[in-house]
Amino acid sequence: MASTPLPTAKHSLPSLLHAQTPKTLLSRKLPNLPKSFQSQFCGVKLSHSSNFAVPSSFKKSSILAKVSKGSVAPSFSLKDQDGKTVSLSKFKGKPVVVYFYPADETPGCTKQACAFRDSYEKFKKAGAEVIGISGDDPSSHKAFAKKYRLPFTLLSDEGNKVRKDWGVPADLFGTLPGRQTYVLDKNGVVQLIYNNQFQPEKHIDETLKFLQSA
Amino acid sequence: MFAEVAPMSAFPHLRSLHHVNQCHYLSPPSHIYRSITTTTTKSRRRHPEPLVVDLPWVLNTSTPATTTIALDEPSLQSTDPPPVLKRSSPVTTTSMLNDPSLKSTWSHRAWVASGCTTVLVSLAKSVTGAADSGTWLQPILAGVVGYVLADLGSGVYHWGIDNYGNENTPVFGSQIEAFQGHHKWPWIITRRQFANNLHALARAVSFTVLPIDLIFNDPVLHGFVSVCSGCIMFSQQFHAWAHSTKSKLHPLVVALQDAGVLVSRSMHGAHHRPPYDSNYCIVSGVWNELLDTYKVFEALEMILFFKLGVRPRSWSEPSSNWTEETDTSSLIAEL
Repeated sequence: MASTPLPTAKHSLPSLLHAQTPKTLLSRKLPNLPKSFQSQFCGVKLSHSSNFAVPSSFKKSSILAKVSKGSVAPSFSLKDQDGKTVSLSKFKGKPVVVYFYPADETPGCTKQACAFRDSYEKFKKAGAEVIGISGDDPSSHKAFAKKYRLPFTLLSDEGNKVRKDWGVPADLFGTLPGRQTYVLDKNGVVQLIYNNQFQPEKHIDETLKFLQSA
Repeated sequence: MFAEVAPMSAFPHLRSLHHVNQCHYLSPPSHIYRSITTTTTKSRRRHPEPLVVDLPWVLNTSTPATTTIALDEPSLQSTDPPPVLKRSSPVTTTSMLNDPSLKSTWSHRAWVASGCTTVLVSLAKSVTGAADSGTWLQPILAGVVGYVLADLGSGVYHWGIDNYGNENTPVFGSQIEAFQGHHKWPWIITRRQFANNLHALARAVSFTVLPIDLIFNDPVLHGFVSVCSGCIMFSQQFHAWAHSTKSKLHPLVVALQDAGVLVSRSMHGAHHRPPYDSNYCIVSGVWNELLDTYKVFEALEMILFFKLGVRPRSWSEPSSNWTEETDTSSLIAEL
């Protein structure tokens, strides 16, 4: 995501023929991403949409915990809006849309959550689950989910540990938690990463389009 | 239930401190109370007097009104919803128009004169300096930059005052309160007299431009300062024109609004619609599209939220103090 707000910040990932750094994949300018990225994916072809069954021999780098397309998303266990602990592994076997957003009850996040809500049936029809993650506590999520009748899980990443583990880039010179969505296939491998801070509804369009074309 | 009409003191950013404690009240003895259909909930009756109108209002009840409607009649004091007044023809309310808080005082005029003097001195310095040096282009360009940046400055200031602080905020408290009052009764700005409307900005301009006039002589600097400060000082007049109706404006003003030289009525009207988070600039409005398209203010709001924990007012449902009284506006705005 560019460090200044721009109306178009789409970063959906087309099919990869060879390894690329997260910087080129995700943004035009992300000063806080690592400058180098090991090319352990060199030679692995990843089609972006038609094939969810990524070869299991493909392994995530053990050096960097940042999540990129083709890597297995690191597991986490976080509390949901009802205070129950939810693990990512619970969703294995079906595609999952994991969207990181800045905070409950902010305009963009509300638009995004409501857009996910309004398209939730389509996500379910595509066999996918939706999970929202922010640094807010479970009670904030509960109130947010109740107010806007959100049917999906919101997880509390207090301390933003998972956000950091996954390498979600911050915006505006690090002042703003980034808005980034990951689509994981049924094996937990990342197939799409979409980043757009100020056009939150586009996250739904892009992820749904991707799931429906799979 | 009776409620106050048009609290005369809650106005955009230019109220004198005299009005701070009267933000929602008319100054006695010209209080006017009448029932308002839906939006207001204030019920204090202090001086229940009949609403005197010049031409008949037609009640859509079985009781037709003629020249005077005595709204303190028991039948109208019931807890039933008050009758909806249908306007049969344009009316004037002389009491409201004569309210002292809308009128210019000599203090207001003095500040406007002072502000204009400092701006004209700056302009004169720019012109004479340009004439002496024979270089006109740079001072003129500086003036254009001043005009453009005045619009941006008006937007940033307006955004800040609309979204943060309250009546108890030091320095800005009265203006914040006035801005909120303006959102509730936007049409009242069209009823203010000229100096009354501009005097607070004129005072700020006086204090800012006077030292520049005294210290500097550069024609380019003065080209920028004179135009920028002049536009800022008169932004409240441009704002008032943006709230007026086309029929009441001079054709030249309408032409300037249509040309985008002055903020247009439609553009500023968009600011007065929920969620009140766009079109903050009020000089020419040239920055509005850019700022809104690129979500600049939303970005600033998010940064302030994450860094300082403060939420802007535009993120929340408008409170009753903020929401425009459309019933009052629609009935009286065309006066």
